[in-house]
Amino acid sequence: MALSLVTLFLLSIMVFLGGQVLPGNVGRAILGPFADQRAVDALNHSLGVDRPLLTQYWSWISNFIQGDMGTSYIFRSPVAPFVIDALGNSMKLAAVAFVLVVPIGILGGVIAALNLNRPLDRIISLGGLSVTVLPEFVTGIILILIFGVWLRWLPISAAWPRDAGFFTQLYYLILPSLPLFLVLFGYIARMARSGMIEALDSDYTRTAVLKGLPWPTVIWRHVLRNALLPTITVIATQTGYLIGGLVVIETLFRYQGIGSLIFTAARGKDFPVLEAGILTIGIVYAVATLAADFLYSVLNPRIRLGTDQ
Amino acid sequence: MGMNRWKQCLKKNRLLRRKDGMDQPRPHATVSTDLVDGRDTENIQEFVNPENTGERVEPMSKNYRILDLIRRSRSPLENHLIDGLVDGRVSRRDFIRHGSLLGLSLPLLGGISAAAGLGAMPTLARAQGAPGATIRVASSVPAAAIDPVTIADAGGLVILQQVAEFLCIDGPDLVLKPALAESWKPNDTGTVWTFTLRKGVKFHSGGEMKAEDVVASIDRLADPANSSNALSVFNGILQKGATKKVDDYTVEFHLDAPNGNFPYMVSSDNYNAVIIPASYKGDYEKSFDGTGPFKLEKYTAKVGASFVRNDDYWGDKALPERTEFTFFADTQPMILALQGGQVDIINQLPVLAGVGLLTDPAIDIISLKSVAHQQLHMRCDSDPLKDPRVRRAIALCLDRKKLVAGLMKGRAIEGNDSPFAAAYPSTDPTVPQRQQDIAQAKQLMEAAGAGKGFKVTLTTERYLEIPEYAQLIQNWVKEIGVELELNILDQGAYYGDAVFGKSNWLDSVMGITDYGHRGVPNVFLAAPLRSDGTWNAAHFKNKDYDTLATSYIAALDLEAQKADAGKIQKLLLEETPVIFGYFYDYLTATTKGLTGVQPTAMSQLFLEKAAKA
Repeated sequence: MALSLVTLFLLSIMVFLGGQVLPGNVGRAILGPFADQRAVDALNHSLGVDRPLLTQYWSWISNFIQGDMGTSYIFRSPVAPFVIDALGNSMKLAAVAFVLVVPIGILGGVIAALNLNRPLDRIISLGGLSVTVLPEFVTGIILILIFGVWLRWLPISAAWPRDAGFFTQLYYLILPSLPLFLVLFGYIARMARSGMIEALDSDYTRTAVLKGLPWPTVIWRHVLRNALLPTITVIATQTGYLIGGLVVIETLFRYQGIGSLIFTAARGKDFPVLEAGILTIGIVYAVATLAADFLYSVLNPRIRLGTDQ
Repeated sequence: MGMNRWKQCLKKNRLLRRKDGMDQPRPHATVSTDLVDGRDTENIQEFVNPENTGERVEPMSKNYRILDLIRRSRSPLENHLIDGLVDGRVSRRDFIRHGSLLGLSLPLLGGISAAAGLGAMPTLARAQGAPGATIRVASSVPAAAIDPVTIADAGGLVILQQVAEFLCIDGPDLVLKPALAESWKPNDTGTVWTFTLRKGVKFHSGGEMKAEDVVASIDRLADPANSSNALSVFNGILQKGATKKVDDYTVEFHLDAPNGNFPYMVSSDNYNAVIIPASYKGDYEKSFDGTGPFKLEKYTAKVGASFVRNDDYWGDKALPERTEFTFFADTQPMILALQGGQVDIINQLPVLAGVGLLTDPAIDIISLKSVAHQQLHMRCDSDPLKDPRVRRAIALCLDRKKLVAGLMKGRAIEGNDSPFAAAYPSTDPTVPQRQQDIAQAKQLMEAAGAGKGFKVTLTTERYLEIPEYAQLIQNWVKEIGVELELNILDQGAYYGDAVFGKSNWLDSVMGITDYGHRGVPNVFLAAPLRSDGTWNAAHFKNKDYDTLATSYIAALDLEAQKADAGKIQKLLLEETPVIFGYFYDYLTATTKGLTGVQPTAMSQLFLEKAAKA
């Protein structure tokens, strides 16, 4: 916990200093290259970005610690609603993608491993690998053309109408989650497959089979439990990507996620939004890692600490 | 000086006219009074190509009785313009453009034109579409908070323009049309311009728009303490405090120097110059107050905006019941949304990204002649481009016909290495167009002692077709031994702090920079080319040029402008500090059957006449 806080603090300093290295300044970013220098200076002064760096950082962090994320330079309104909305949106999209890809990916890997070197295995392994290497803006456009423009089954934009209910939102999220599914499916399926092959080959599986357990029980209680450990780590590391790394997908599907929020903030040198956005993703990473550790310990009794079973 | 010139011309032409008139038949022609009245026209769209609709090639007979009647109440300057039309020195289209600048009303201009035997203004009667539609627009994400003072991007200014209005509008044909101002006129020297405001115009918040609102709105933009994006337009033209109320409906602008094109500076061409209440405090997103045909319904930063019809509008009420703007961060998703039927209009369609739509039978493309362009600057103060012969040689390598036909798919016109695009009425068309000529380029390189060629870096931004343009130039200049190394940067990195010494744009030896549309070339003539210009990336310092540019800007009279323009065009061809390869069209894509959509090349979008089939 303490280590996470130190990490986040260092991250905030790095983001702040990194922002200073980028060319241009906030006033310029807002007014554009053709604005009069006097106007730019006046704007920078009113935003307070002409103060010494240490003063700027201190005034930001002292407010941040008290729960005030500050005011966006570019949008001139509080940062918190932007970040909270964007994080909510990102989590919804990530959740839909997760719900689709995790069970199907694992199932695919299991099926492939159980049919090792047979045509079904080849189809899953090669097919999964092929779609994984396709960038999501390619699969995204193809999917939009098929389902949005030609068949018109699914909405092109992921931004649902105002006051949309749960199912409407879900309907709008299907299309954007499909490219994510394609990116992650091959990855997860291959991890699950190799874990399964290893577990199927192990002594404890042979013992379980030889002591007469029914095949499904062997798979469920002995093989799968061991085979999934590396897969869980992989899934956990993908959480950060799914929450914060979807700039391309968010742009393509016009979705207000945290990835594009950070991207536009970085381009506009909107430091309060940039800091809040990146720290939010940092926290998401920390939580996801923690959750993965917890799940790992549930599945693997060997690393359970201080418990007797 | 300019004044004397036109006074002399005036006398001469009047004499000539009388003489000619003696043996001319004088049939009667009636001046139609119901021709057009600015925004009350059915559909401004038809102005785009007047030659298709109204302009007659064959000369018709002139009605001198009516012309004389009209002349009586006109200023000498206006009469000179009328003479120009009658004598054929000024084309009908240029006449209407320049006449609108001088504050002659469009019905009157049409009447004069008819009496001069050149056909009336195109009658703009077009079947009015059905009211009540909801028009859905895809536009780019506003880059910052919506604020008339600071706004600087296409995504933001189109939202502002939905609710707020300008004194006058620079239409798609570069003709100024009255909006909140009914008329305007200069004094004899062009240093004071007087605007008469429309009466009975109401803000959405209730109050009547009066002179103090105009004074406050413009003064706010001219104040250096206000972070005003319009400061670069008003710099050296209009100071804070120089906008003066005469009475409730009359405003005077007292300029720093004579300026023949001033009305453009307070038109939609200066997209910040909307008229909002004098009481504005700097929180525009709270009120979105204005006088426009639409009122804001809801605005969500980064997501979109919706507007509803303003039933208290001073002009014809808007046809659409509602309009919805959806913000997109990239062009590709906009195109998909249009094809998928989720939006009706793409406000601004870059040629290169939108190439698939240009031939789509389900899509209409509205193509406006604009003077937007990419400036290729060459440092005049440092090697290897110091010698004007070398710069000319490079300019001679460009195959402009291929640029227009290939790179821009025909949606552009050739540039002639000066800001004077063919679209400007003041451009001197007799100056020959620069063509590709590799042999001459090689000779020039030899003469300049650079026959062996050299290596130079071309720094530019990743924006629109610029990277592709840079590659084409790279290939062309190989023929004369110039090896271009391309350094293509993110826009932020290219512009940097946008001041000398801290900007790749202003410091690079060679670079390409995008310039948006302007209804008059004044801005292009000053900041990027004058010795003291703040955007003078070419570091071009030429006293003769400075004098000519000042003279052009001061000239009130179209022919004086044309004379200066011709000299500037020739001087810039000789010196070539900047290559103007092409001026590209402004494209708007709509679904088939949508009518009455009126974009401007400044990225504004007028939807009050829009209707669905």
